[in-house]
Amino acid sequence: MSEVVRKSEVVVRKRRLKASVIRKLEGSTFIAPWVIGFLVFMVFPLGYSFYMSFHQVRILATGIEIKPKGLDYYKYILFENANLLYNQLIPFLRQALLMIPVILVFSLLVAIMLNQKFAGRSLFRSIFFLPVIFTTGQVVREFMNQGEGDLGFIERYNITSLVSQNLNSAWSKPIVAIMGSFVLILWYSGVQILIFLAGRQTISNSVYEAARIDGASPWDVFWKITLPGMMPFILLNMIYTTVDLFTFPTNPILTQVNTSNYGQSSALAWIYFAIIFVFLGIVFFLYTRVQKAYDRTSYGV
Amino acid sequence: MAKTMASLKKVNIGRGDWRLWLTKARYLIFGKEADKGLLFRLFIYLVLIDTAYIYLNPIIYMVTTMVKDASDLLDPSVNWVPRTIYTGVLQDAWVKLKYPSAFTLSMIIATSVAVLQTVSCAVAGYAFARLEFPFKKFWMFCLILTFVVPLQVIILPNLIFASTLGIMKTYIPIIIPAILGHGLKGSLFVIIYRQFFSTQPKELEEAARVDGASAFKIFFKVMLPLAKPAILVVFLFSFVWTWNDYYLPMMYLNGAKEVPLSMGISQIQAMIDQQAKDFGPSIFDEPLKMATSFLIILPPLVLYMFAQRWFVEGVERTGLVE
Repeated sequence: MSEVVRKSEVVVRKRRLKASVIRKLEGSTFIAPWVIGFLVFMVFPLGYSFYMSFHQVRILATGIEIKPKGLDYYKYILFENANLLYNQLIPFLRQALLMIPVILVFSLLVAIMLNQKFAGRSLFRSIFFLPVIFTTGQVVREFMNQGEGDLGFIERYNITSLVSQNLNSAWSKPIVAIMGSFVLILWYSGVQILIFLAGRQTISNSVYEAARIDGASPWDVFWKITLPGMMPFILLNMIYTTVDLFTFPTNPILTQVNTSNYGQSSALAWIYFAIIFVFLGIVFFLYTRVQKAYDRTSYGV
Repeated sequence: MAKTMASLKKVNIGRGDWRLWLTKARYLIFGKEADKGLLFRLFIYLVLIDTAYIYLNPIIYMVTTMVKDASDLLDPSVNWVPRTIYTGVLQDAWVKLKYPSAFTLSMIIATSVAVLQTVSCAVAGYAFARLEFPFKKFWMFCLILTFVVPLQVIILPNLIFASTLGIMKTYIPIIIPAILGHGLKGSLFVIIYRQFFSTQPKELEEAARVDGASAFKIFFKVMLPLAKPAILVVFLFSFVWTWNDYYLPMMYLNGAKEVPLSMGISQIQAMIDQQAKDFGPSIFDEPLKMATSFLIILPPLVLYMFAQRWFVEGVERTGLVE
């Protein structure tokens, strides 16, 4: 009797094991194309470009000629010639630091407004998603070149000179640049608005109803319900905006990555990649700090 | 006494009326709750219309500039509405862009990439959301890494790779990664699908599994039909971004005879510069650029006009983000 039970147990266990193996196999077949793609289109090029960054590579008719160069290219970019990296990187970083918060705040506000119920909402929504369609191409740059990028009142009231007189030039320049291309910033926030709008749907309406019954003012509702609920999406948007800004093809540093010197371009790309990683790390760190502080204040009271 | 009482009452009623009226007015202007009043409404409309104007301004400018003729262009009093509609510049741009062939090429690239990515990223996204496979956490990390790595880090080896395979100056290297769920922003699409599938109720799959369906059947018969909003969002993004992308074509199709539309602006710019060198700048330079821009963004714009209703809904329902 007991033997029969044991036998059937073994059978069941075997079958279960088999089922789990089958599941894993199925899962693996689903993910396999992506993993193969990852190896071919990501790991291999990454490794090869890392390898190239230490070598002088020349493409000849007969094949590829590779000479080891050691750390020469890195030394050259980092310590010898400021033209390639620093001259473009530092203004760009400053501008990015200012642009990211502006984009985030603007897109959050627009998303919350678009979430209200009012007549003509769908019309406004389709207008506000337009940037998603355009901003990736060269067309938007064309618009900016035509001088459509600035707000008329800035010149009219001479705000530029006000800023540049009161701040040192290192920071006033990017601020002026941002004001000059404020419309551009609005154009870059298409996807961010979208993410916030989708994120806003995750906060359930009953929370808002409860707050309303308790007599909370909209101001309180925004700070105590909407903003904490949106925190994950703010992080997501920060990451998205950072990656987007840093990898935009018009980015001054990335235009230096070309086929004229494979080794040096690869080294530059890798240095730049490291910078993006550090920048994202800082964003992440700041976010956890803010989140912690926020948690403490909201639960401490 | 009675008289005074009556008059008092009258005053009382009068005051009551006045108060009622005041509260009504207050409700009308400020609303019963702060976000319902007229004032707030006005404020919202003001901000939204302003921003919408900022978004639409370049498009309107583009359309009006490209149909202006020489006299309208020179006359500073003609700003928004041209006196006559002149299509010569548009025709010029059409010819210079080699529009029919460039359009076909763009269409081939964008459609095939979009279709391939829509399917392959769905498969990968579903696996990340629901299925079990070894080292899942590690692959998840790789997915995020793929999202963060700039294209420019990996472009040079890919170029060498493509040239050794002899597929430079063709659009094959742009399309192939899409088959395997990579390519332009492929990782983002996988993430979108992953988020979408993980919000779906698990019971559906469990029911199908109990009925003996394999993972393939579940995916293609149950989950994919459910994923319409996500499919729409990914398809539209993929199509439009590939259509607009000029970095990859610039790299792979450098020097090719036929180039996609997205490279049109730099082409036209080069032509204009050449002409300016030979004959001096023309007043039609700007209209020409605007006409080029218009011809380039027209197809995605039309697509968006048709899809936007579902697109806006789809975005809300995909749970694009957790």
